[in-house]
Amino acid sequence: MVENYAVLPCNGLDKCAGAISRELAIKLCENAKNEIICPVFYRVSEAKYNKIASGHPLLVIDGCQTRCASKLAAEKNLKISRKITITEEAKNNNVELKNNLRLLENENTLIEIIMNGLINAEDRVTPISDEINVLYNFEYETFQNGKFIFRVPKNPEIYFNENDCWAYVIGNRARIGVTDFVQQNLSDILYVTPPDIGAGIDQFGEVGEIESSKSVFEIVSPVSGKVISINETLEQKPELINENPYESGWIAELELTDFESDKELLIGFDKYFEIMKKKVEDFNV
Amino acid sequence: MSETTFMGVERDKIDWKPTIDYTKCDYCMECVKFCPHKVFEIRESEEIKLIVRNPNNCVVFCRACSKICGPDALSFPDKNSTTQRIKEIRKEMESNG
Repeated sequence: MVENYAVLPCNGLDKCAGAISRELAIKLCENAKNEIICPVFYRVSEAKYNKIASGHPLLVIDGCQTRCASKLAAEKNLKISRKITITEEAKNNNVELKNNLRLLENENTLIEIIMNGLINAEDRVTPISDEINVLYNFEYETFQNGKFIFRVPKNPEIYFNENDCWAYVIGNRARIGVTDFVQQNLSDILYVTPPDIGAGIDQFGEVGEIESSKSVFEIVSPVSGKVISINETLEQKPELINENPYESGWIAELELTDFESDKELLIGFDKYFEIMKKKVEDFNV
Repeated sequence: MSETTFMGVERDKIDWKPTIDYTKCDYCMECVKFCPHKVFEIRESEEIKLIVRNPNNCVVFCRACSKICGPDALSFPDKNSTTQRIKEIRKEMESNG
């Protein structure tokens, strides 16, 4: 059961998804011990909600990908513990949203589906196993641009794609994550959407998202495989990606399905280091 | 500004760019503000106010602009087909020496 959250919904009155966000937030507070933060009032007068916001983990409900509620949370320096995006939920549950601003059968069905999911959900706070930490023995090459330092691990078991993601391959498994280029570009990372455990991922397929107040980054998997674990610590501490995206900030672990073929489109340290340096120069990170 | 090759393949041989669904686009221009590669261009005085101006600047496999598009008006080619095509081109390049 999702309980004891401060719920910050989108309240967009010009979209169906906004109306659904609002209704879902109300239901979450009626049916469980959660407390609502009105985004409109919070923006102009935060004092009313400071206590709720600081005393509870935050559940953000975005209506659409404009992410107004997430952006408001970032503006107010709130850490997001859980997030729901209505348009994504609608897609995942094959519910078609139209332009109506009143809630009709479809919209109420979707709210019920999401509510049931949240009521039945375990409140996941699982400590990460230390097992993989013993595998780390990375040696880094670094370069600096202004105040920003960029590291790239030199170990030959680490492969990169040109989308600034890495795979640390051990046997038939790979741990994956993003490089310093991504975390420096995004700056303070506020939320990570991990892939589903058990999901099949194609090479260059999406294997989660990282979000900061500046932007959203789709993690482009360097390898194909099945997700066998995720870094659950990131749910509470997404800032680990800023601290070290190669070690404590890893994203997921995959059981590899066709690494020999994937390797054709991957590069090693030497090439990636040069590519990253050029990107940093081009974009003046 | 843009990379001229991706995985050793000339960028203009790779079909990877956003397509704008004008029936959904509300010209909020969030994509223009978001994309650092200047893929989009605003045409304030035209009827169609937003176009994909520099498709080859688009980073292959990046779909980030579609993630921030509120009205869900941006789409991309199929990643698997693009991956296969890149592999084919690389093989052709190898066999041509």
